[in-house]
Amino acid sequence: MSASIQVSSAWLKFRCYNNPSPSLKEFVLGGLKRNKHAHGAEEFFALKNINLSVKAGDRLGIIGLNGAGKSSLLKMIIGIYPPTNGTVAVEGKVTSLIEMGTGFDLELSGRENIHLNGTLLGQSYRQMRRLEKEVIEFSELEEKIDLPVKYYSTGMFGRLAFSIAAVIKPQILIADEIFATGDAYFIEKSFNRMRQMFQDSQIIILVSHSLTQVVELCNKVIVVDRGEIVNAGNPQEMVDFYANSIVPVAGRRGAAEHGAGSLA
Amino acid sequence: MPIVHELQEAKRAQESDSWATVSLAEVGATVCVLDTQMASGTYPCSETAGAFLLRTVKELDAVKFALGAFVFNALRRRYHNSVLGFAWSLLNPLLTMSVMALMFSLIFHRNPQQFAVYLFAGMLPWTFILESVMSGSTALTSFESFLKKIYLPKAFFPLVVVCIAAANFGFSLVSLGLLGLAVGMPVSSSLLLVPVATIILFIFNCGLALLFAIATLYLRDLTHIASVTLGALFYTMPVVYPIEQIPAQYSWIYLSDPFYHFLLLFKTIIYESRQPSLRQWAIASSIAGITMVASLALLKWKEKDIIYRL
Repeated sequence: MSASIQVSSAWLKFRCYNNPSPSLKEFVLGGLKRNKHAHGAEEFFALKNINLSVKAGDRLGIIGLNGAGKSSLLKMIIGIYPPTNGTVAVEGKVTSLIEMGTGFDLELSGRENIHLNGTLLGQSYRQMRRLEKEVIEFSELEEKIDLPVKYYSTGMFGRLAFSIAAVIKPQILIADEIFATGDAYFIEKSFNRMRQMFQDSQIIILVSHSLTQVVELCNKVIVVDRGEIVNAGNPQEMVDFYANSIVPVAGRRGAAEHGAGSLA
Repeated sequence: MPIVHELQEAKRAQESDSWATVSLAEVGATVCVLDTQMASGTYPCSETAGAFLLRTVKELDAVKFALGAFVFNALRRRYHNSVLGFAWSLLNPLLTMSVMALMFSLIFHRNPQQFAVYLFAGMLPWTFILESVMSGSTALTSFESFLKKIYLPKAFFPLVVVCIAAANFGFSLVSLGLLGLAVGMPVSSSLLLVPVATIILFIFNCGLALLFAIATLYLRDLTHIASVTLGALFYTMPVVYPIEQIPAQYSWIYLSDPFYHFLLLFKTIIYESRQPSLRQWAIASSIAGITMVASLALLKWKEKDIIYRL
């Protein structure tokens, strides 16, 4: 099966409840006082009219400022946030690395977390048992693998998390800032691994603030700004566009406006 | 409106085979005509009940290994670092309820051995229900970090907590079996019906857990309200005291309690060593069925809102 992602005129409205789940007291009192504030929700569009078509073989990079909607876009594609309007159609098995170490249980050992995390990413337990050795080898955590992960350093944590995703070989890999932790050596190593994964996976979507990585790894790039795709095209051009047209403007924008979209 | 036209024209201007549409050509332009374009809060993709059910089952099937891992880890962690380890899962219910059996048999002047079995047969399914509701009500809120970072079907964590409760129930059943053998309870063929009753109770508990998990997102106090209410309900049912203590004209009180019909199944099978009547089966199954359907209906209705309520 050939993997594909079709996003057509998708809008994503965030509802920021002032109080997402009111307590009984607040519920009753709010009702009595007709306190709009307590019950109300502020709404804003995190993503506006997104049209995107990603086919097998595509390596899509997403660049943009903080709060531009990059992560929201990824989360919409994964299905965490259903689009408010429009459609998102994804064909193929998705593995997402939104935040390193999601699904890690701090009390469990590294080895147990490999199993837990792998199964959360849709692998069978048996498969994870088979891949376990490869994960440990890649992460270079041989001596520490049976320690609870709460004793791990941030770098070790990140290495383990990346290594799990690295051996799974998903059809569609969606990754958000996955090189943020780890030392230069491990980043280099995982970067090379990513290149290899790019051959195994049909689709990769990568969010990164490292523009050189984006240029090197991706064949298509979109620039997202304030919830919209403002430009799309080949990596080098987009990175230049981003550096010349978006970044300088950001400084001039009001600080309040800038923070509005950073919920996700 | 003019901005909409501009937007549409910008779209049209794109080549038809373009893979990503730039929604606005100029950086910095704002769209402020959203309300005219869509009715807020309505999702275009409405699903039939059958499609919803099929999708939910498929999604849960995809993460069944994770379900196993969660349940296994939770159980293992509970007795982690303790000297007796897993033995506690058998000892704990046994000892707790032996104390209760001793106390209440003294109060009601009963044969402690027989009364222990009577008590266990009611207490075990009740504990299963209670645990499902209590941990079910926090099943979505306490796993927020997962739900916001990976796509998991919303029924996943309620199912996880019920499976954990079911495992505890299983251990307690084994304890009860050991106790029954020790006090010389007759082993009857009706005991073969325990798994059937357990399946019905499991379905009921899954429904309850899902209902409470979603409802708690809209009213946080529900956890506390449920805890107090269920605690009070417990004493309306003849579990810790003999059924004869309730005058016949008040039997409607516990008979109108949906939970009691599940306890009754286990009591009939385990304590009375006979097959429950068809009517008993029918009542329990329909309560379980209705609860399950109601919870799925609630899930279908609120599924897309859940993530924003966390």
